[in-house]
Amino acid sequence: MKITLPALTLAGLLVLTGCGGNLGSEGDSGSTAAYPDRAVTLLVGQDAGGSTDLIGRALADPASKDLGQPLTVQNKPGANGAVAAKELAAAKADGYTLMVFVGSLAYITPLAVPADQAVDINNYEVVTGISQDDFVLIANPETGFKTVKDIVDAKRPIKFATTGVGTGSQLTQTLLFAQAGVDATAVPFNGGNPALTAVLGGQVDVAAVQLGETKEQIEAGKAVPIVTFATERPSYMPDTPTATEAGFNVPVQQSRAIVAPKGTPADVVARLRTAFQKGFADKTYQDFNTQRLLTANEVDGAALLQQWTGSLQTYRDLVAKHKIELGAK
Amino acid sequence: MSAVIDGFAVVLEPTNLLYCLVGVVIGMLIGVLPGLGPAATIAILLPVTFGLEPVTAVIMLAGIFYGAQYGGTITSVLLRLPGEASSVVTVFDGHALARQGRAGAALGIAAIGSFIGGTLSIVALTLVAPVVAGFALDFGPPEYTVLALLGIMLVATISSGGRIRALAAAAVGLLFATVGRDDFTSAERFTLGNLSLADGLDFIPIAMGLFGLGEILYNLEQRHRAVQAPTKVTDVWPRRADLRQSSGAIGRGSVIGFVLGILPGGGAVLSSMAAYALEKRRSRHPERFGKGAIEGVAAPETANNAAATSSFIPLLSLGIPANATMAVIFGALLIQGVTPGPQLVTEHPELFWGVVNSMYLGNVLLLIMSIPLLGVFVRILRVRATVLAPITVLITLIGAYTVNNSVFDIGLVIAFGVLGYLMKKAGFDPGPMVLAFVLGSLLETSLRRSLLLFDDDPTGFLTRPISGVLVAVFLAVILLPLIQTVLRKRRQPAAGPGAPAPESPDLEPSGAGPRETDLRTDASRAESGVSRARSGAAPAGGDASAGAGASPAGAAPVDAARNRADRERGAAGQAGAVRGSGAAGQAGTVRGSGAAGQAGAVRGESTSDAEETE
Repeated sequence: MKITLPALTLAGLLVLTGCGGNLGSEGDSGSTAAYPDRAVTLLVGQDAGGSTDLIGRALADPASKDLGQPLTVQNKPGANGAVAAKELAAAKADGYTLMVFVGSLAYITPLAVPADQAVDINNYEVVTGISQDDFVLIANPETGFKTVKDIVDAKRPIKFATTGVGTGSQLTQTLLFAQAGVDATAVPFNGGNPALTAVLGGQVDVAAVQLGETKEQIEAGKAVPIVTFATERPSYMPDTPTATEAGFNVPVQQSRAIVAPKGTPADVVARLRTAFQKGFADKTYQDFNTQRLLTANEVDGAALLQQWTGSLQTYRDLVAKHKIELGAK
Repeated sequence: MSAVIDGFAVVLEPTNLLYCLVGVVIGMLIGVLPGLGPAATIAILLPVTFGLEPVTAVIMLAGIFYGAQYGGTITSVLLRLPGEASSVVTVFDGHALARQGRAGAALGIAAIGSFIGGTLSIVALTLVAPVVAGFALDFGPPEYTVLALLGIMLVATISSGGRIRALAAAAVGLLFATVGRDDFTSAERFTLGNLSLADGLDFIPIAMGLFGLGEILYNLEQRHRAVQAPTKVTDVWPRRADLRQSSGAIGRGSVIGFVLGILPGGGAVLSSMAAYALEKRRSRHPERFGKGAIEGVAAPETANNAAATSSFIPLLSLGIPANATMAVIFGALLIQGVTPGPQLVTEHPELFWGVVNSMYLGNVLLLIMSIPLLGVFVRILRVRATVLAPITVLITLIGAYTVNNSVFDIGLVIAFGVLGYLMKKAGFDPGPMVLAFVLGSLLETSLRRSLLLFDDDPTGFLTRPISGVLVAVFLAVILLPLIQTVLRKRRQPAAGPGAPAPESPDLEPSGAGPRETDLRTDASRAESGVSRARSGAAPAGGDASAGAGASPAGAAPVDAARNRADRERGAAGQAGAVRGSGAAGQAGTVRGSGAAGQAGAVRGESTSDAEETE
């Protein structure tokens, strides 16, 4: 939401120079010769301050420099981004409304909600993939849990916090506990931070949150990492086994992409992809990625679509196999 | 400690200094103007805060809130028109002093008292909030459930216009909060298939409508006439004797204001009345009150500022708004991406300490400004409502649109504006509705989370230490007034409803000609209400509900500080009676008056009184 003065000046200059030649040449066809000639809204379907929001803001800053227009981040939290996605679907396909789309909304939420409320990523135009994020299962130190085996051996029902219904946090834990045969109740919270707080305060036994969200607490010893759901051990957590190593099949990651409404002109999408690629190359953004422990996944729209639809199928099968109910379907 | 000092660095940034100044000036302005209260003003200005940093935004909004407490005094003393509900009791002695040519002394002592009360509260806030934050992690869903319930209940019971009406309004507010997607099942509720409702009703249009537009419409109905500026104010600095006489009142006012301000539903209005009642009770010459006792100005003015400051404590440390204005600031923070709660101090220290420390500065600014700028503020009163109201409406609607660039939101503002207007006309206070709306989703999600944690066993609320204590307080809030009512009925079976209010010994019958008397009569009725409450008589007719409604305010401090129980309860009970009989005296307009944390109605009422007497 911050608009820095230099950015504004720059924007103003670019508008002046860029528009000079073709003022008045634009008809209803939505000619994109001057795209963008005003600020572009970047919807974020999560609360400000969460991972998705931070990623959106970190990327919006360098990308807007290339676009020559401000990229205004607008938080529209609700239903793991479904509210923002709905708004995006209804927005004009002119490239002035974009969204940081979370993968779980496309490949996990549909497993949890009635079909008419599920979001289908094929109804959108994917501009570019952004990055992937791994989940880690953490426990409150007072539970004494250090491994999945500890949880199983405790032979008691446990409570686990999720970051919401139909999120990766819910799916990872549900799959894990179903495979481990643990009697576990999900308590949905609104996002990573509240779920983390619930673990730290001992309101629940464990929670699965994204790595970056809990790095500090793990380092401070306030949260004990049990397993990560990454494909291989993250470099900064060499002692924590992956779920696969612990003997469970939980291949769930969070993934994020920039998405535009269906029907956004191809040249606009291409222009945006160029801008975001400039953003990916930005040093500050790359530092942010490292610091937040994110894995770059800067693929183009077609590749991302393939990833996500593949994941949806995998999870559908897993959920069916273990007879899991994620939501009030 | 370094965080506290960093907070000062935040305040001293030029932008923040500027907005602090802007905030307190706007606050004083609306304090002077009968019409918009702080909740309405803050609601209307919400869109302006969008482009600001969160800390800057809240510094300004906070400035409006405590600035209004200062401004309200001026018109109370000079014109017998309380600019804010929290300055209603200041009228009694403040205007009496003004008629003795000592308006300057009254304003001076009010400014000094406000400064001291405000500052002491900030110091306490500085000390208390980090302690509460230390328990932050112990506040889980069960604690929030009970806290939200308690907040709604206290506001509903203390609010004016009767408990039933307040509870009804709160219930509707809770219903409004259920619109939108269910966080637990993703099911859509009451969205009517409308995309704009999928995310639930937005807080801003509701606040802007109910408080802003509703209040403007309501005030417009009372045909305002530009007010004549009063006599010149001279000799602003109180005499040494005044200071000596007021020092005790200022000290006690600070404590009362601080304590009542923390309690949900307490706030500036109630504390000013409680402080006034206490001073009168303690005084060896209670007959001086109403005739220009300087303590009668010092105590309520100190208390209302102390309360305005301390009502930030529950908001900034627990995330529970204590009154309607805090509910609007709560909304402003949410919009800024900051969720107020126990973790605010640690997660956003710059915001927390920046806002807290800005209050020191704001109080100094107010003290400096309030005296030399008196003339300017009084002149503003001459602006006709017929000019002011349309401009304000326009600003409100444009503001509502700019938040989401949504025409739907304009429609919402108008719809809720009409609702707010009708509620006021029917004697419902919109405050509880807005508060319940704000706390509604917290209540629902926390309750459902708690039940998941407890395996659907509700007794879990009782077995956790913090939530158990909160449940006990909650029950006390519900039961004490009922017990009190029963006891009172038993003790005084003779005094049936509708019994004529006995004339108060403090009444000044000679000075009250029919042309000037409405407010004064009001005041004297209030006075008689105080004496009745003291003698333990059953409240007469119309004020029964208000009187009963006020008692929980007394009940809560009993839990908080037992040793002070007697005095506090007495004080709050009397305060209730002050409001109650005010309402009784004026069946039509006033049911909404004296709303905790809500200013509009009283001001509307008193101006209309002045109007009617023309």
